[in-house]
Amino acid sequence: MRVVTKSFLRYLIKRPGLSVLQLLGIACGVAAVIGMTVSARSALTSFAMAVDFLRGKSTHVMERPAGPLDEKTLEKLMLDPAVRYFSPVVDRKIKLKTGESVRVLGIDPFLDRSIRPELSNAPFSETDVKNRQTYVDFLLKETTIFLEKNLATDLGLKPGEMLSTSRGNFQILGLFANPSGEPIILMDIAHAQRLFDLSGKIDRVDLILSDEAGFLPRWKEGYRIQSHSQKKETLLAMLAAFRLNLEALSLLALFVGVFLIYNTTTFAVVSRRRDAGILRSLGAQNSEIVLSFLAEILIFGILGGALGAIIGHLLAHFLVNLVGSTISNLYFFVRPVEPPWSIMTILAGVIIGGGASLLGGFLPLLELIRIDPVQTLSGRTVSRKSRIKTQRVAFAGLAIIVVSIILLLLSFINVYVGFAGVFAFILGFSLLTGIILIALGPAMKWLFYHLGGLPGKVAAGNIRQNLSRTNIAVSAFMIALALSIGLGSMIGSFRKSLVWWMGTQLRGDLYISTIAEIQVPEEFYEELKAMPGLGGIDPYRNVQVMYNGFQISISSIDASVLQRYARFGWLKGGNENWEAVKNGGVIISESFARRFKTKEGDRVTLDGIEGPVALSVGAIFYDYTTEHGLIMMDRSTYIKIFGDTTINSLGIFIDPGNPQRAELLGEIRRKAQERNLPVLTSKQLERNILALFDSTFAVTRSMRFLAIIVAFFGITGALLTLFLERKKDFGIYRALGFSTSQISIMTVLEGLGMGLVSFLLSTVGGTALALILIKVINLRSFNWTVFYYPEWQPYVVTGIVAICASLGAALHPLWKVCRTYPQMQIREE
Amino acid sequence: MQPIVRVVDIWKQYGDEGQNGIALRGTNLEIKPGEVVALFGKSGSGKTTLLNLIAGLDRPTKGRIEVEGRDLESIGESGRTDLRRRRLGFIFQFFNLLPTLTAYENVYLSLELLGRRDQKSAKDALAAVGLEGKGARYPHELSGGEQQRVAIARAIVKEPTLILADEPTGNLDTTTGSQILELLQHRCQKHKMSLLMVSHTPLTWKFADRILHMVDGVITEPASCTEITR
Repeated sequence: MRVVTKSFLRYLIKRPGLSVLQLLGIACGVAAVIGMTVSARSALTSFAMAVDFLRGKSTHVMERPAGPLDEKTLEKLMLDPAVRYFSPVVDRKIKLKTGESVRVLGIDPFLDRSIRPELSNAPFSETDVKNRQTYVDFLLKETTIFLEKNLATDLGLKPGEMLSTSRGNFQILGLFANPSGEPIILMDIAHAQRLFDLSGKIDRVDLILSDEAGFLPRWKEGYRIQSHSQKKETLLAMLAAFRLNLEALSLLALFVGVFLIYNTTTFAVVSRRRDAGILRSLGAQNSEIVLSFLAEILIFGILGGALGAIIGHLLAHFLVNLVGSTISNLYFFVRPVEPPWSIMTILAGVIIGGGASLLGGFLPLLELIRIDPVQTLSGRTVSRKSRIKTQRVAFAGLAIIVVSIILLLLSFINVYVGFAGVFAFILGFSLLTGIILIALGPAMKWLFYHLGGLPGKVAAGNIRQNLSRTNIAVSAFMIALALSIGLGSMIGSFRKSLVWWMGTQLRGDLYISTIAEIQVPEEFYEELKAMPGLGGIDPYRNVQVMYNGFQISISSIDASVLQRYARFGWLKGGNENWEAVKNGGVIISESFARRFKTKEGDRVTLDGIEGPVALSVGAIFYDYTTEHGLIMMDRSTYIKIFGDTTINSLGIFIDPGNPQRAELLGEIRRKAQERNLPVLTSKQLERNILALFDSTFAVTRSMRFLAIIVAFFGITGALLTLFLERKKDFGIYRALGFSTSQISIMTVLEGLGMGLVSFLLSTVGGTALALILIKVINLRSFNWTVFYYPEWQPYVVTGIVAICASLGAALHPLWKVCRTYPQMQIREE
Repeated sequence: MQPIVRVVDIWKQYGDEGQNGIALRGTNLEIKPGEVVALFGKSGSGKTTLLNLIAGLDRPTKGRIEVEGRDLESIGESGRTDLRRRRLGFIFQFFNLLPTLTAYENVYLSLELLGRRDQKSAKDALAAVGLEGKGARYPHELSGGEQQRVAIARAIVKEPTLILADEPTGNLDTTTGSQILELLQHRCQKHKMSLLMVSHTPLTWKFADRILHMVDGVITEPASCTEITR
């Protein structure tokens, strides 16, 4: 190795504490990206595998636009020349006694053999003699099932034992493997129809078509026929916003990581300035110095990246469950497989770490190239120049903020433009740190003098005088804290908006069967309707349908009941908007209006069982149930269009002044329990929704936490660098008579000062970030308005984190002070 | 005989600070091969600026500098770097050793930059300045005098034609300073190297063939060493 390179690399060994901190900082940044990417990919791969497994060999799927379809359709299908094979399917959910919801597939084992041989052969997979009996049992005994192997293992069940569910107990005839890992219960279709009260109905037909072009026109009306690639795309498109947010979150973590690398590299340049000057005076070329420095940066990047990949892989094991449960809660069931270990993960970490290091090291490298050897050798400070530079950087920061505002205003073009605006804003704001540190200098000096006397005053001066180092550390820490405040405020505001929204929509006294897999029998609805004294019953039905090639939701409700009892948040007007719904029109969610650029008075065309139906849009309401868009209509309109009488849940409304209120509620509870239907009060339902909401932001919270850890390493590194660079100054303090405790106070106050300034700046940056996330990113990603509610918690939590982190960061230098201060000398080298 | 260094009407102005920013005001200088020149003057008189200009570390506002007949301006940055690497040695008041390299590595660095990976020469150079057996020590493990000896070894090991020494004894006590200057003079004579020493202490005078005086950016009093010491 060349001596020039060696002279730079020796710093890594000479300052092991700092090297470890820098390495960990990079590793954490890389770990965040790897962890997030690997877990998201794992969840999506599992999802794709599940879709492929369930699809089998089928080419198309046939459904009603909404609700189940009549099994008489099968007779006509049999005669269609384009159909090579078909298999009717009942596809529902059942709740296990453990609380887990599991997919139940009802199939005809004969018809399904051509579509899903692995699955439909399950009843025949045993030995011959036993085989015949198993097969007979599967067809004849209503309570017999086959169970997915992993699920059986998880529940500790074996063939012959009973599986307990919310719809009774089932005997396990055998087990089958599902490579996608999704737990499935397999049942004969006739038994499934009876179990889910679907007499004469099926959920879909899986088809193998020989002539798609010939088939589609014949079945155009009243059916939704999608090729499997279309179906998969539709499902994956539903995850687009979710994926985008995951990507943005991991990019934010990487952004903090790159900033940290920039931070550490700049420190390194500052401490190598003199060495670079010496080397130049000895005749070393700029390129040799840069290459040596580059080697140092890359060693950090590569080692940090590799370490980050390992941490990221471990993190992915934790995140994959969070991502999986969020997707399952919000979209469709996914049981993500544990991400497999691969050498490619290390390679990815090394590339990210190395790339981020080069990116973060670019500006410091430029600075190294431009170093004036005369100045560095003479030891002349460039205070005046540094002030001018700080002012220039601040102007650049302001310019970048202006650009960020323009990008945010242009975010209607694409949400990525909005994300670019967010990053530009964070970058621009961070560039203002230096000038703000200068401006806050006198106030900090006054405060610290009163806090810690002379050492406090010196500490404040040190922060101000060592701007080239403190500025970067403060801005990196500020970014992480601003992210914490911004994300925290955004989540808090969203939560409060959700609480407000629930207050407008969930005003019923009781809700029966709010669990998707359990439906309310129509006769039960009729039975309750007949009960005297009830104010109203809202039979709620929610289905997913295709609209203009995109999956959206349709809800059917009783408009008269909701007009009387609910207080929807309307974009325009009030409860008179229900009149249009009562007259056969629809109301649409804000997300639908924004996504499809639809306004009041427009018409939306839906594919009904008897062809397209155009419906007038009466009003737009605030809604957070789906970002894909929701059309709400009266039950009578819904049944007319889709012929689907299914009810997902009932909302029971009783007038507050009704003297029989308590008795009526008790009676309804009793009746529901008789039918094994779950009953919830609106408060319980709200709690469930909020718990779901909180769980969906678990990933965001993890990233918020990681960003702070990354920044913690940054500020600790900064303090340690300051300490190491100023050893001579400590000798001078000692000569002047400063005691060890005074120097300790100075060190602690320097850390605290940097933390406090970072926090103060982050309150401004974080609030702005929260507003951007709410008003731009959320709106563009999810098409809904989240109202900004100022909350104190994110600020207090972040403030505590800032103080603790900065004090924690001061511990190592403090320990060094206590250990070595008495021996420190005033020496040049 | 062609001079090693020829400085013709050199002006140097820093920034746009008017009269106060002018460090050199039309200075002229010639140094012959093997000549030891002491340039003395008060702090801020422009001595170090002149040294930096001759080394090509800085560029004059006006005037011409030739080293071994080559105009520093015309050879460009890479030419100036090459000149420092091959033909010039630099010794500083604050030693300026690389703190992460041992004494031996600091000396060997000069050879490596030349492309001469000659470990024996580096060891010999250290021995020549009286630091045999101390090559493995880092700068902070050496005294000030020893550090300056390493700096001298680093400068002479590549046998340059000219050594530029900026206050080589400024950070040393009188005894050590005298030893260093003696060593420097001896090595320069032995290897026929020219030496330009910048100083503001009379200690350097007796080791110089020629003494120059710089006042306010102009070399005003050329005088011989013997005349001064007499």
